[in-house]
Amino acid sequence: MSASATNETETPDLSAIARPPQVLNNRGPLWVTDAVCSIVEGKTPLWWYAGITVSGAFAAAGLACILYMIVTGVGVWGSNSPAFWAWDITNFIFWVSMAHAGSFISAVLFLTRQKWSLSVSRAAEAMTVFAIVCAGVYPAIHIGRVWFVWFLFPVPNNYGMWPNFSSPLLWDVFAVSSYLTVSSLFWFAGMIPDLAVLRDRATTKIRKFCYGVASLGWLGTARQWRHYESMYVLLAGLTAVLVVTVTTIVASDCATSVIPGWHATIFPFYFMAGAVYSGSATVLTLLIPLRALYPQLKDLITPSQLEKVAKLLLMMGSCVAYVYVFELFCAWYSGNAFERGAFWERFHGTAAWYAITCLTINLTVPQLFWFKRIRTCLPLVFVLAILCNVGMWFERFMIVTTSLLHDFLPSSWGNFHPSIVDILTATGTVGIFFTLFLLFIRFVPVMSMNELKAALPGAQPQHSGEEH
Amino acid sequence: MSRLPLCGSPFQPLHAVGARFDTPDALIAAFKRLRDAGYTAVDCYTPYPVHGLAETMRLPKSLLSFLVLGGGLTAIVLALSMQLIPSNLIYPIVVDGKPTGLAGLPQYVPIVVALTLMIGAVAAVKGMIILGGMPRLNHPMLAWDLFAKDASRGFFLAVAARDRNFSIGAVSEILEDAGAGDITAIHLEEPDSE
Repeated sequence: MSASATNETETPDLSAIARPPQVLNNRGPLWVTDAVCSIVEGKTPLWWYAGITVSGAFAAAGLACILYMIVTGVGVWGSNSPAFWAWDITNFIFWVSMAHAGSFISAVLFLTRQKWSLSVSRAAEAMTVFAIVCAGVYPAIHIGRVWFVWFLFPVPNNYGMWPNFSSPLLWDVFAVSSYLTVSSLFWFAGMIPDLAVLRDRATTKIRKFCYGVASLGWLGTARQWRHYESMYVLLAGLTAVLVVTVTTIVASDCATSVIPGWHATIFPFYFMAGAVYSGSATVLTLLIPLRALYPQLKDLITPSQLEKVAKLLLMMGSCVAYVYVFELFCAWYSGNAFERGAFWERFHGTAAWYAITCLTINLTVPQLFWFKRIRTCLPLVFVLAILCNVGMWFERFMIVTTSLLHDFLPSSWGNFHPSIVDILTATGTVGIFFTLFLLFIRFVPVMSMNELKAALPGAQPQHSGEEH
Repeated sequence: MSRLPLCGSPFQPLHAVGARFDTPDALIAAFKRLRDAGYTAVDCYTPYPVHGLAETMRLPKSLLSFLVLGGGLTAIVLALSMQLIPSNLIYPIVVDGKPTGLAGLPQYVPIVVALTLMIGAVAAVKGMIILGGMPRLNHPMLAWDLFAKDASRGFFLAVAARDRNFSIGAVSEILEDAGAGDITAIHLEEPDSE
């Protein structure tokens, strides 16, 4: 229909194509402020103490295992010839990949003006930062003698020794540290105006001081907002590039080697798709309980937004499925005996159950999200999202470890069994992740109040300035 | 002219006259009236970025993107020299027959990208903080309790006393006409009041 067909007297009915509201029940800006601040300002709920006790215990056990590993040696892990990379690198890739969905949601969806992501982006960014912290635990300790970690950095030293800059392992050091820096800055800078709101509302001196220092003296002047908005777009642009580059570099760790099962040009895309897939699953795993535990958030984290995250999961899950099939096809079509052997072994060898679990979950669970009824049933989505992450962990293990078990020489084929230290360190990182997330919920605003308020209907001037 | 409510210390110099508005439209309208009356030292405080306010205030475009560009270019130079000098001059290593010198440039790209993004982001955040006049621990406006405790509840405007045309009566008249609430004379606080 052409635009001329509508005139002032008959306005077309746009309700059918209208976007779902950002905030339900016509809540106003003051309600948004109160709802978000009440989580930080209210009494600490009992479940929070219970949660942090459990996650803290796991984290403590994990840190104890790391300490034990450092004083004893990497022999306490199950890693042994030929699987010199096992749970350490599996977990590193698992965590660093998970982080990517947070950056994707907060940066890429911000740049593409996807307003629905506003209320989930802060929590997603927090997830990013904490997942990188968990990932960062591994590279430093897996070198065995951690006191030599400075070898990774180009520090002039009296041995006259320099790092090998053409190694993807060294690229990793820079990629992950820049990812941690940029995503922490993005997370923190986005929080400054909201921390200032908490400072203004603080009732005790300690709170006022802490939030006052954290908010850097933000006042919300027009000039500050001008620079702030400019910074936000710039940071989103930089972060959006990181979403692609970090997994690409991490994927190069495997792809640039000659091991069958690793040596594939599809790896960067493979890792990237898996990254956003597992990260969207984590966002759902975190936000669905958060919304249930804090009922005031139900109007802010709407079912429609969670459904969109589920759709993102479906899309990325389908990309992952495509890569699985494509990878198998290439192994067969290449006619390369080692490549074929590696993939045959993957599904028939001693470690076959890892690959079978991975494929069973990742090929079926996300596909359930084609059905609206499943996508919108939040308890079910919560369970399925956890399953997706289990599947993704098995995928990382399948790629990293089972490829090493079966390379060119039959004499160097072998098996891998995790040790109790491996297992407790891995559960320890889960503990660290949830401990940090619980602290995040309790002490900083879980969503961007200023962005939400700016997007409310009527929040912007109707007749803004004549000098446009 | 009626007496304005006062905050801060009455024995200290007047910092500004502040007012609160309920809507961004009212704030912009009041700003325009003040501007037309010749006031230049007027600042607006809003709980979220208000579209069109910066244009109405004729604020220049933020310089931040140039700072980020500068940071990024510096990072490229630093990252390249950090890699090229050791691997070609100080301690050349040939791994897997990978080329050295200029032909080997592609292998240095990942670290260049990573550091460019990192330093660019640091420049963006540091630039925002410094250009925004932060960090600071206090501000004369915070002597005004209504603003300090509840800045998220309204749209605030302050005409600074240093304005060349400043007259407390004329300003409060314009503000009152523009529908402002809680018009207050904000004095500085006693230096050792805390």
